[in-house]
Amino acid sequence: MIQFEGVAKIYQSGKQEIHALNGIDLTVETGEIYGVIGFSGAGKSSLIRTVNFLERPSKGRVLIHGKDISTLSSKEIRTIRKDIGMIFQHFNLLNSKTVFHNVAMPLLLAKTPKADIEKQVKDLLDFVGLADQAKKYPDQLSGGQKQRIGIARALATNPSVLLCDEATSALDPQTTKSILDLLKKINKEYNITILLITHEMGVIREICNKVAVLEDGKVIEQGTVFEVFSNPQQATTKRFVRSVMNDELPESLLAQIHEPHSDNTIFRLQFTGNSVGTPVMSRVSRDFNVDLNVLFGNITELQGVPYGNLIVEFSGELKEIERAITSIQDNNIHIEEVTHYVS
Amino acid sequence: MSVNYDQILEAIWETIYMTGAAFGFSLLIGFPLGIFLVVTRNGHLLENESVSNALNIVINIFRSIPFIILMVAIIPLTRLIVGTSIGTAAAIVPLVFYAGPYIARLIENSLLEVDKGVIEAAQAMGASPAQIIFRFLIPEALSSLVLALTIAVVGLIGASAMAGAIGGGGLGDLAITYGYQRFDTFIMVITVAILVVLVQGVQSFGNILSRRVRRS
Repeated sequence: MIQFEGVAKIYQSGKQEIHALNGIDLTVETGEIYGVIGFSGAGKSSLIRTVNFLERPSKGRVLIHGKDISTLSSKEIRTIRKDIGMIFQHFNLLNSKTVFHNVAMPLLLAKTPKADIEKQVKDLLDFVGLADQAKKYPDQLSGGQKQRIGIARALATNPSVLLCDEATSALDPQTTKSILDLLKKINKEYNITILLITHEMGVIREICNKVAVLEDGKVIEQGTVFEVFSNPQQATTKRFVRSVMNDELPESLLAQIHEPHSDNTIFRLQFTGNSVGTPVMSRVSRDFNVDLNVLFGNITELQGVPYGNLIVEFSGELKEIERAITSIQDNNIHIEEVTHYVS
Repeated sequence: MSVNYDQILEAIWETIYMTGAAFGFSLLIGFPLGIFLVVTRNGHLLENESVSNALNIVINIFRSIPFIILMVAIIPLTRLIVGTSIGTAAAIVPLVFYAGPYIARLIENSLLEVDKGVIEAAQAMGASPAQIIFRFLIPEALSSLVLALTIAVVGLIGASAMAGAIGGGGLGDLAITYGYQRFDTFIMVITVAILVVLVQGVQSFGNILSRRVRRS
């Protein structure tokens, strides 16, 4: 478990003070995959670095499994760091050493016996799917492979926490997916708590249980990924959500809807879980005297739960439309009028 | 009286001896200094402003004295250490004072080239400062360190020739006393040619070694 209690980080730049973090309160429960998202300069890197004390918080405390790191000596900090693996955007491997040596490094530092190192490194490389690359050097590998080496290295000391610093930001979408799958596997098989920072909402959607949105060194919104994606509150959060679940209507369509004679109303319907599977739209159209025109729709998956989003134009008599809406709500579908929203 | 074959051989040996010994001692002084220059920097492993400032000032002072003046200026110290101010052994002392700080700077430069991210990864692994220096910084910089030290050796060969001017022996001595003062153009050409070959050899060796240690 990682707890941030009023964590602040102030950098001195000449006479100016830069407040990278402004009182962060967050709790990452054991076994969770917690994502922190923010634009660059929001304070993400500072935040993740306070966990292993690469950055000392100026105020507040960070507790790892209930232990306040700031009370520890530098030797104790080094010990606790072995329990906190970290992977990086640019991998940060030793280019002068083989893949094997890179993964073995944390074990060498811990003075593990040579025979144990051989075995453990082999197992780790097997786990990340690079058993046949042990003798190569990092510059002979692709970005995705380098990150796998980074992951194997981070796992070498059997940590209970893994920090991911923009771990997929330098990778193409397909490789990103495979690395995220690997992180998911690590989380499941070893029950390792993962704290990741990213600027890509796709990463959050793909693997996180919980998410916090960081802006100007403050957490502006947090919750389960499902809550935040289905009902974002802050403007920044909405922008992030929209970056992966685009529900904006094309310009041409908007112009058509807003022609003067049009008195149709537009609704947004949100389906979650089982309701995705029910043919509500066609039934409503049949049962009531309304015409439905689907303007936009998508279905995605959040944490293994299907989540659909439809923007539908209703036309017909007001009374009929109202009855239709009630019927839709009875099917556990969230519906709200967005006529003005889309304008 | 002309120079014979043996004299040239002896001069070559003296140059190699001066350069080698001076390089060895300079490395002993310069290498740790270079490491300290890096790690005491602002934001580095063992950040320490006063140590960093002091080191920089001292190194800059030695680096700003022209070798020919340094050589004369530390004659009392040379006498104290080797008992004489003339000869090959005596030439080594100013050479060390010249090359030590130079090597410190070269080492500093090479170590600074190491990606900050690698150091961060080392810290995140729980490596101690000593482990970071010896297991991360130096291995990652090794190839560049070898090239930097090659520059130092070439510089020392040149400086050792200059040390010849105050009777230090070696190829420089030969070129000055016979080639210059006795107008023996042939000797002048020969010594220069030997120096060129020496420097080429050292540089080629450095290049090969640097490539070899890029991956260890």
